[in-house]
Amino acid sequence: MKKLLLLLFCAISYSTFAQAPAGFKPVKDTTAFKQKMQEQSKLINSIESDFTQEKYLSVMSEKIISKGHFQFKKVNMLRWEYNEPYKYLIAINKDKMYIKDNGKVTKYDINSNKMFKSINEMMINTVQGNLLNNKDYKANFFENEKFYLLELTPTQKGAKDFLKAIQLYINKTDYAVEKVKMIEPSDDYTSIDFSNRKTNQPIADEKFIIK
Amino acid sequence: MKNLLLSSFIALLLASCSLGHYGKLVQNKNASEKRTSPKPIFGDNFNSFLFKTNITVYGKDFSGLLVTKQMSPKDYRVIFTTELGMKLFDFEFKDTAFTLHYCVPQFNKPKLLKVIQKDIETLLMNNLSVKKTEDYTNKNELFSVQRLEFDNYFNYYFTEKSSAHLFKIEHAKKRLKKTTFILSNYQNEFPGNILIRHHDIKLKIELNLLKK
Repeated sequence: MKKLLLLLFCAISYSTFAQAPAGFKPVKDTTAFKQKMQEQSKLINSIESDFTQEKYLSVMSEKIISKGHFQFKKVNMLRWEYNEPYKYLIAINKDKMYIKDNGKVTKYDINSNKMFKSINEMMINTVQGNLLNNKDYKANFFENEKFYLLELTPTQKGAKDFLKAIQLYINKTDYAVEKVKMIEPSDDYTSIDFSNRKTNQPIADEKFIIK
Repeated sequence: MKNLLLSSFIALLLASCSLGHYGKLVQNKNASEKRTSPKPIFGDNFNSFLFKTNITVYGKDFSGLLVTKQMSPKDYRVIFTTELGMKLFDFEFKDTAFTLHYCVPQFNKPKLLKVIQKDIETLLMNNLSVKKTEDYTNKNELFSVQRLEFDNYFNYYFTEKSSAHLFKIEHAKKRLKKTTFILSNYQNEFPGNILIRHHDIKLKIELNLLKK
Protein backbone atom coordinates (compact mmCIF):
# COMPACT_ATOMS: atom_id res chain seq x y z
CA MET A 1 0.00 0.00 0.00
CA LYS A 2 2.81 2.34 0.91
CA LYS A 3 4.52 1.53 -2.35
CA LEU A 4 1.33 2.17 -4.25
CA LEU A 5 0.88 5.56 -2.63
CA LEU A 6 4.46 6.46 -3.41
CA LEU A 7 3.98 5.39 -7.01
CA LEU A 8 0.77 7.39 -7.24
CA PHE A 9 2.51 10.42 -5.78
CA CYS A 10 5.35 10.12 -8.26
CA ALA A 11 2.93 9.76 -11.13
CA ILE A 12 0.97 12.82 -10.03
CA SER A 13 4.03 14.96 -9.50
CA TYR A 14 5.47 13.84 -12.81
CA SER A 15 2.34 14.72 -14.72
CA THR A 16 2.19 18.10 -12.98
CA PHE A 17 5.74 18.98 -13.89
CA ALA A 18 5.89 17.26 -17.28
CA GLN A 19 6.79 19.83 -19.83
CA ALA A 20 3.94 20.88 -22.09
CA PRO A 21 4.81 20.96 -25.81
CA ALA A 22 4.92 24.45 -27.33
CA GLY A 23 1.45 25.98 -27.61
CA PHE A 24 -0.11 23.43 -25.26
CA LYS A 25 -0.98 23.57 -21.57
CA PRO A 26 -1.67 20.66 -19.21
CA VAL A 27 -5.26 19.42 -19.02
CA LYS A 28 -6.67 20.14 -15.55
CA ASP A 29 -9.45 17.60 -15.33
CA THR A 30 -7.92 14.46 -16.82
CA THR A 31 -10.60 12.19 -15.38
CA ALA A 32 -13.34 13.95 -17.32
CA PHE A 33 -11.24 13.79 -20.49
CA LYS A 34 -10.57 10.06 -20.10
CA GLN A 35 -14.23 9.40 -19.45
CA LYS A 36 -15.25 11.36 -22.55
CA MET A 37 -12.68 9.48 -24.67
CA GLN A 38 -14.03 6.16 -23.49
CA GLU A 39 -17.63 7.17 -24.13
CA GLN A 40 -16.75 8.29 -27.67
CA SER A 41 -14.80 5.12 -28.33
CA LYS A 42 -17.85 3.05 -27.37
CA LEU A 43 -19.97 4.85 -29.97
CA ILE A 44 -17.64 3.83 -32.77
CA ASN A 45 -18.08 0.57 -34.66
CA SER A 46 -16.01 1.37 -37.69
CA ILE A 47 -13.55 3.99 -38.93
CA GLU A 48 -12.26 4.62 -42.40
CA SER A 49 -9.74 7.28 -43.34
CA ASP A 50 -6.96 8.35 -45.68
CA PHE A 51 -3.56 8.95 -44.17
CA THR A 52 -0.31 10.69 -45.00
CA GLN A 53 2.80 9.43 -43.27
CA GLU A 54 5.91 11.55 -42.93
CA LYS A 55 9.21 10.11 -41.82
CA TYR A 56 11.63 12.71 -40.54
CA LEU A 57 15.31 11.72 -40.35
CA SER A 58 17.56 14.50 -39.10
CA VAL A 59 20.33 13.61 -41.56
CA MET A 60 18.07 13.79 -44.61
CA SER A 61 17.11 17.11 -46.13
CA GLU A 62 13.61 15.99 -47.01
CA LYS A 63 10.98 13.85 -45.35
CA ILE A 64 9.92 10.48 -46.73
CA ILE A 65 6.25 10.77 -47.52
CA SER A 66 3.92 7.84 -48.09
CA LYS A 67 0.14 7.82 -48.48
CA GLY A 68 -2.58 5.31 -47.99
CA HIS A 69 -5.94 4.34 -46.61
CA PHE A 70 -7.08 2.48 -43.52
CA GLN A 71 -10.24 0.73 -42.40
CA PHE A 72 -11.07 -0.38 -38.91
CA LYS A 73 -13.97 -2.44 -37.68
CA LYS A 74 -14.86 -3.66 -34.24
CA VAL A 75 -13.68 -5.96 -32.86
CA ASN A 76 -9.99 -6.15 -33.80
CA MET A 77 -10.14 -5.80 -37.57
CA LEU A 78 -7.79 -3.41 -39.30
CA ARG A 79 -6.68 -2.90 -42.88
CA TRP A 80 -3.73 -0.52 -43.22
CA GLU A 81 -2.71 0.03 -46.83
CA TYR A 82 0.02 2.13 -48.46
CA ASN A 83 -0.65 3.17 -52.06
CA GLU A 84 2.05 5.76 -52.70
CA PRO A 85 4.89 5.64 -53.55
CA TYR A 86 4.70 1.86 -53.08
CA LYS A 87 2.10 -0.80 -52.38
CA TYR A 88 2.19 -2.45 -48.99
CA LEU A 89 -0.67 -3.81 -46.95
CA ILE A 90 -1.05 -5.00 -43.37
CA ALA A 91 -4.35 -6.49 -42.27
CA ILE A 92 -5.30 -7.67 -38.82
CA ASN A 93 -8.27 -9.93 -38.39
CA LYS A 94 -8.71 -10.91 -34.76
CA ASP A 95 -5.81 -13.31 -34.14
CA LYS A 96 -4.54 -13.38 -37.74
CA MET A 97 -2.24 -10.91 -39.40
CA TYR A 98 -1.64 -10.63 -43.15
CA ILE A 99 1.13 -8.77 -44.94
CA LYS A 100 0.93 -8.23 -48.68
CA ASP A 101 4.19 -7.06 -50.20
CA ASN A 102 5.25 -7.28 -53.87
CA GLY A 103 2.02 -9.16 -54.56
CA LYS A 104 2.96 -11.88 -52.08
CA VAL A 105 0.70 -12.55 -49.09
CA THR A 106 2.12 -13.85 -45.83
CA LYS A 107 -0.21 -14.91 -43.04
CA TYR A 108 0.80 -14.91 -39.39
CA ASP A 109 -0.76 -16.06 -36.18
CA ILE A 110 -0.60 -13.01 -33.95
CA ASN A 111 -0.34 -15.04 -30.76
CA SER A 112 2.72 -16.85 -32.07
CA ASN A 113 4.87 -13.76 -31.97
CA LYS A 114 5.24 -11.19 -29.21
CA MET A 115 6.22 -8.48 -31.67
CA PHE A 116 3.12 -9.02 -33.85
CA LYS A 117 0.99 -8.97 -30.77
CA SER A 118 2.32 -5.60 -29.71
CA ILE A 119 2.09 -4.18 -33.27
CA ASN A 120 -1.51 -5.35 -33.37
CA GLU A 121 -2.42 -3.79 -30.01
CA MET A 122 -0.60 -0.60 -30.81
CA MET A 123 -2.25 -0.11 -34.22
CA ILE A 124 -5.75 -1.02 -33.10
CA ASN A 125 -5.54 1.15 -30.01
CA THR A 126 -3.98 4.08 -31.82
CA VAL A 127 -6.67 4.36 -34.46
CA GLN A 128 -9.27 4.14 -31.72
CA GLY A 129 -7.44 6.61 -29.49
CA ASN A 130 -7.62 3.93 -26.85
CA LEU A 131 -4.16 3.79 -25.32
CA LEU A 132 -5.17 5.13 -21.96
CA ASN A 133 -5.49 1.90 -20.07
CA ASN A 134 -2.28 0.42 -21.31
CA LYS A 135 0.15 -0.17 -18.47
CA ASP A 136 3.09 -0.19 -20.89
CA TYR A 137 2.77 3.57 -21.29
CA LYS A 138 2.64 6.55 -18.99
CA ALA A 139 0.18 9.20 -20.14
CA ASN A 140 0.36 12.98 -20.02
CA PHE A 141 -2.50 15.22 -21.12
CA PHE A 142 -2.22 18.62 -22.77
CA GLU A 143 -4.55 20.88 -24.69
CA ASN A 144 -4.78 23.95 -26.88
CA GLU A 145 -7.82 25.55 -28.50
CA LYS A 146 -8.32 22.87 -31.10
CA PHE A 147 -6.72 19.69 -29.78
CA TYR A 148 -6.16 17.50 -26.81
CA LEU A 149 -2.63 16.16 -26.95
CA LEU A 150 -2.16 12.81 -25.35
CA GLU A 151 1.50 12.02 -24.84
CA LEU A 152 2.47 8.45 -24.02
CA THR A 153 5.92 7.45 -22.90
CA PRO A 154 6.87 3.78 -22.74
CA THR A 155 7.63 2.30 -19.34
CA GLN A 156 9.08 -1.00 -20.54
CA LYS A 157 12.80 -1.21 -21.15
CA GLY A 158 12.59 -2.87 -24.56
CA ALA A 159 10.20 -0.26 -25.95
CA LYS A 160 12.25 2.62 -24.55
CA ASP A 161 15.16 1.62 -26.77
CA PHE A 162 13.32 2.59 -29.94
CA LEU A 163 10.50 4.83 -28.75
CA LYS A 164 10.71 8.05 -26.77
CA ALA A 165 7.04 9.01 -26.95
CA ILE A 166 3.82 8.70 -28.92
CA GLN A 167 1.73 11.83 -29.32
CA LEU A 168 -1.92 11.67 -30.28
CA TYR A 169 -3.65 14.85 -31.43
CA ILE A 170 -7.32 14.48 -30.62
CA ASN A 171 -9.89 16.86 -32.06
CA LYS A 172 -11.80 18.57 -29.25
CA THR A 173 -15.12 18.61 -31.07
CA ASP A 174 -15.50 14.95 -32.06
CA TYR A 175 -12.66 13.28 -30.13
CA ALA A 176 -11.20 11.88 -33.36
CA VAL A 177 -7.48 11.16 -33.58
CA GLU A 178 -6.24 13.56 -36.28
CA LYS A 179 -2.54 13.00 -36.00
CA VAL A 180 -0.16 10.48 -34.45
CA LYS A 181 3.49 11.22 -33.95
CA MET A 182 5.98 8.55 -32.91
CA ILE A 183 9.23 10.02 -31.64
CA GLU A 184 12.41 7.98 -31.45
CA PRO A 185 15.11 8.45 -28.78
CA SER A 186 17.22 10.27 -31.43
CA ASP A 187 14.29 12.72 -32.01
CA ASP A 188 13.74 11.37 -35.51
CA TYR A 189 10.01 10.80 -35.86
CA THR A 190 7.17 9.35 -37.90
CA SER A 191 3.99 11.39 -38.08
CA ILE A 192 0.70 10.22 -39.54
CA ASP A 193 -2.03 12.68 -40.48
CA PHE A 194 -5.57 11.41 -41.00
CA SER A 195 -8.05 12.95 -43.43
CA ASN A 196 -11.49 12.14 -44.93
CA ARG A 197 -12.44 10.28 -41.82
CA LYS A 198 -15.76 8.44 -41.85
CA THR A 199 -17.19 6.60 -38.88
CA ASN A 200 -19.80 3.87 -38.56
CA GLN A 201 -20.11 3.22 -42.30
CA PRO A 202 -20.60 -0.41 -43.25
CA ILE A 203 -17.35 -2.21 -44.15
CA ALA A 204 -17.46 -5.79 -45.44
CA ASP A 205 -15.57 -8.39 -43.39
CA GLU A 206 -13.86 -9.55 -46.63
CA LYS A 207 -11.79 -6.36 -46.55
CA PHE A 208 -9.89 -7.87 -43.64
CA ILE A 209 -9.09 -11.16 -45.34
CA ILE A 210 -6.21 -10.89 -47.78
CA LYS A 211 -5.66 -13.44 -50.53
CA MET B 1 9.01 0.30 -73.39
CA LYS B 2 10.14 -2.27 -75.94
CA ASN B 3 13.69 -1.07 -75.52
CA LEU B 4 13.41 -1.31 -71.79
CA LEU B 5 12.11 -4.86 -72.03
CA LEU B 6 14.83 -5.80 -74.46
CA SER B 7 17.56 -4.29 -72.35
CA SER B 8 16.29 -5.96 -69.20
CA PHE B 9 16.14 -9.23 -71.12
CA ILE B 10 19.72 -8.77 -72.26
CA ALA B 11 20.75 -7.83 -68.74
CA LEU B 12 19.07 -10.94 -67.42
CA LEU B 13 20.67 -13.08 -70.08
CA LEU B 14 24.09 -11.66 -69.39
CA ALA B 15 23.59 -11.83 -65.67
CA SER B 16 22.64 -15.46 -65.79
CA CYS B 17 26.06 -16.46 -67.11
CA SER B 18 27.80 -18.21 -64.26
CA LEU B 19 31.37 -18.23 -63.05
CA GLY B 20 32.55 -20.08 -66.14
CA HIS B 21 32.66 -16.77 -67.96
CA TYR B 22 36.00 -15.85 -66.43
CA GLY B 23 37.61 -18.38 -68.77
CA LYS B 24 35.84 -16.94 -71.82
CA LEU B 25 37.14 -13.46 -71.22
CA VAL B 26 39.96 -11.94 -73.23
CA GLN B 27 42.29 -9.62 -71.41
CA ASN B 28 42.82 -6.23 -73.05
CA LYS B 29 46.53 -6.08 -72.55
CA ASN B 30 46.99 -2.96 -74.62
CA ALA B 31 44.13 -1.11 -72.98
CA SER B 32 44.84 2.52 -72.28
CA GLU B 33 47.52 2.94 -69.65
CA LYS B 34 45.44 5.16 -67.46
CA ARG B 35 42.88 2.87 -65.89
CA THR B 36 40.11 4.40 -63.89
CA SER B 37 37.94 2.79 -61.24
CA PRO B 38 34.37 1.95 -62.30
CA LYS B 39 32.00 4.89 -62.46
CA PRO B 40 30.29 5.14 -59.04
CA ILE B 41 26.63 4.07 -59.18
CA PHE B 42 25.53 6.73 -56.72
CA GLY B 43 27.51 9.51 -58.41
CA ASP B 44 28.98 12.39 -56.52
CA ASN B 45 26.09 14.81 -56.37
CA PHE B 46 24.91 14.72 -52.74
CA ASN B 47 21.54 13.32 -53.76
CA SER B 48 19.50 11.05 -51.60
CA PHE B 49 18.00 7.84 -52.98
CA LEU B 50 14.95 6.03 -51.66
CA PHE B 51 14.45 2.31 -52.21
CA LYS B 52 11.66 -0.07 -51.34
CA THR B 53 13.77 -2.81 -49.84
CA ASN B 54 13.51 -6.45 -48.84
CA ILE B 55 16.22 -8.17 -46.87
CA THR B 56 15.83 -11.92 -46.51
CA VAL B 57 18.21 -13.46 -44.05
CA TYR B 58 18.01 -17.16 -43.16
CA GLY B 59 14.31 -17.24 -44.05
CA LYS B 60 13.39 -14.08 -42.16
CA ASP B 61 12.06 -11.28 -44.30
CA PHE B 62 12.58 -7.63 -43.41
CA SER B 63 10.73 -5.21 -45.61
CA GLY B 64 10.98 -1.44 -45.57
CA LEU B 65 12.53 1.67 -47.03
CA LEU B 66 16.23 2.25 -47.45
CA VAL B 67 17.58 5.77 -47.86
CA THR B 68 21.10 6.68 -48.92
CA LYS B 69 22.44 10.18 -48.65
CA GLN B 70 25.83 11.60 -49.49
CA MET B 71 26.68 14.01 -46.67
CA SER B 72 30.09 15.19 -47.89
CA PRO B 73 32.43 13.92 -50.65
CA LYS B 74 33.49 10.77 -48.78
CA ASP B 75 30.67 10.47 -46.27
CA TYR B 76 27.48 8.45 -46.86
CA ARG B 77 24.59 7.75 -44.53
CA VAL B 78 22.40 4.69 -45.12
CA ILE B 79 19.21 4.20 -43.10
CA PHE B 80 16.70 1.33 -43.24
CA THR B 81 13.23 1.74 -41.71
CA THR B 82 10.07 -0.38 -41.84
CA GLU B 83 7.11 0.85 -43.92
CA LEU B 84 5.51 1.98 -40.66
CA GLY B 85 8.53 4.16 -39.90
CA MET B 86 10.43 2.13 -37.33
CA LYS B 87 14.18 2.44 -37.81
CA LEU B 88 15.96 -0.88 -38.30
CA PHE B 89 19.51 0.31 -38.88
CA ASP B 90 21.45 3.52 -39.43
CA PHE B 91 24.95 3.26 -40.92
CA GLU B 92 27.56 5.84 -41.76
CA PHE B 93 30.44 5.30 -44.19
CA LYS B 94 33.06 7.99 -43.89
CA ASP B 95 36.35 7.52 -45.74
CA THR B 96 37.34 4.03 -44.63
CA ALA B 97 35.54 4.24 -41.27
CA PHE B 98 32.20 2.63 -40.55
CA THR B 99 29.91 3.93 -37.80
CA LEU B 100 26.90 2.04 -36.51
CA HIS B 101 24.54 4.77 -35.33
CA TYR B 102 21.62 2.52 -34.58
CA CYS B 103 20.48 -1.04 -35.06
CA VAL B 104 17.62 -3.21 -33.79
CA PRO B 105 18.58 -6.49 -32.05
CA GLN B 106 17.53 -8.55 -35.12
CA PHE B 107 20.38 -6.98 -37.11
CA ASN B 108 22.79 -6.55 -34.25
CA LYS B 109 24.85 -9.64 -35.00
CA PRO B 110 28.51 -8.98 -35.79
CA LYS B 111 28.75 -11.32 -38.77
CA LEU B 112 25.49 -10.19 -40.37
CA LEU B 113 26.29 -6.51 -39.83
CA LYS B 114 29.71 -6.97 -41.38
CA VAL B 115 28.23 -8.64 -44.47
CA ILE B 116 25.56 -5.96 -44.99
CA GLN B 117 28.16 -3.24 -44.39
CA LYS B 118 30.43 -4.81 -47.03
CA ASP B 119 27.54 -5.06 -49.53
CA ILE B 120 26.64 -1.41 -49.12
CA GLU B 121 30.30 -0.41 -49.39
CA THR B 122 30.55 -2.29 -52.66
CA LEU B 123 27.54 -0.38 -54.00
CA LEU B 124 28.71 3.01 -52.74
CA MET B 125 32.19 2.46 -54.20
CA ASN B 126 33.44 4.87 -51.60
CA ASN B 127 37.19 5.01 -51.25
CA LEU B 128 38.15 1.87 -53.15
CA SER B 129 41.70 0.93 -52.18
CA VAL B 130 42.56 -0.97 -55.34
CA LYS B 131 45.87 -2.82 -55.64
CA LYS B 132 45.61 -3.73 -59.29
CA THR B 133 43.16 -3.32 -62.17
CA GLU B 134 42.78 -5.56 -65.23
CA ASP B 135 40.41 -5.09 -68.17
CA TYR B 136 38.71 -7.88 -70.10
CA THR B 137 36.19 -8.21 -72.91
CA ASN B 138 34.00 -11.20 -73.60
CA LYS B 139 34.44 -12.91 -76.96
CA ASN B 140 31.30 -11.56 -78.61
CA GLU B 141 32.17 -8.10 -77.30
CA LEU B 142 28.77 -7.51 -75.70
CA PHE B 143 30.24 -6.48 -72.40
CA SER B 144 33.51 -5.56 -70.80
CA VAL B 145 34.78 -6.65 -67.41
CA GLN B 146 37.05 -4.80 -65.09
CA ARG B 147 38.75 -6.83 -62.40
CA LEU B 148 39.82 -4.91 -59.32
CA GLU B 149 42.16 -6.58 -56.91
CA PHE B 150 41.97 -5.66 -53.25
CA ASP B 151 43.90 -6.92 -50.24
CA ASN B 152 42.18 -10.28 -49.96
CA TYR B 153 39.45 -10.30 -52.60
CA PHE B 154 38.51 -9.39 -56.17
CA ASN B 155 35.59 -7.44 -57.56
CA TYR B 156 34.51 -7.95 -61.17
CA TYR B 157 32.53 -5.10 -62.75
CA PHE B 158 30.50 -6.02 -65.83
CA THR B 159 29.55 -3.19 -68.16
CA GLU B 160 27.26 -3.54 -71.16
CA LYS B 161 29.09 -2.03 -74.12
CA SER B 162 26.11 -0.57 -75.97
CA SER B 163 24.66 1.33 -73.02
CA ALA B 164 27.77 1.69 -70.83
CA HIS B 165 25.61 0.50 -67.93
CA LEU B 166 27.18 -1.45 -65.11
CA PHE B 167 24.89 -4.48 -64.93
CA LYS B 168 26.71 -6.82 -62.59
CA ILE B 169 29.32 -6.85 -59.86
CA GLU B 170 30.80 -10.07 -58.60
CA HIS B 171 32.61 -10.22 -55.34
CA ALA B 172 35.02 -13.16 -55.17
CA LYS B 173 37.57 -14.53 -52.76
CA LYS B 174 40.28 -16.83 -54.11
CA ARG B 175 38.29 -16.98 -57.37
CA LEU B 176 35.25 -18.33 -55.54
CA LYS B 177 32.14 -16.28 -56.23
CA LYS B 178 30.82 -15.00 -52.89
CA THR B 179 28.30 -12.33 -53.85
CA THR B 180 26.56 -11.23 -57.04
CA PHE B 181 25.06 -7.77 -57.50
CA ILE B 182 22.63 -7.43 -60.40
CA LEU B 183 21.76 -3.93 -61.56
CA SER B 184 18.89 -3.57 -64.02
CA ASN B 185 16.09 -1.34 -65.33
CA TYR B 186 18.25 1.71 -65.79
CA GLN B 187 16.39 5.02 -65.81
CA ASN B 188 18.30 8.26 -66.22
CA GLU B 189 21.59 6.44 -65.82
CA PHE B 190 20.58 4.90 -62.51
CA PRO B 191 19.56 1.28 -61.91
CA GLY B 192 15.89 0.93 -60.93
CA ASN B 193 16.51 -2.50 -59.40
CA ILE B 194 19.49 -3.82 -57.50
CA LEU B 195 19.59 -7.42 -56.36
CA ILE B 196 22.32 -8.67 -54.03
CA ARG B 197 22.61 -12.42 -53.73
CA HIS B 198 25.04 -14.22 -51.46
CA HIS B 199 26.29 -17.64 -52.44
CA ASP B 200 27.80 -18.72 -49.13
CA ILE B 201 25.13 -17.52 -46.69
CA LYS B 202 21.35 -17.30 -46.95
CA LEU B 203 21.09 -13.58 -47.50
CA LYS B 204 19.32 -11.70 -50.27
CA ILE B 205 18.86 -7.94 -50.54
CA GLU B 206 16.50 -6.39 -53.08
CA LEU B 207 16.46 -2.65 -53.69
CA ASN B 208 13.79 -1.08 -55.89
CA LEU B 209 14.24 2.60 -56.55
CA LEU B 210 11.30 4.79 -55.57
CA LYS B 211 12.84 8.22 -55.83
CA LYS B 212 16.10 10.01 -56.30
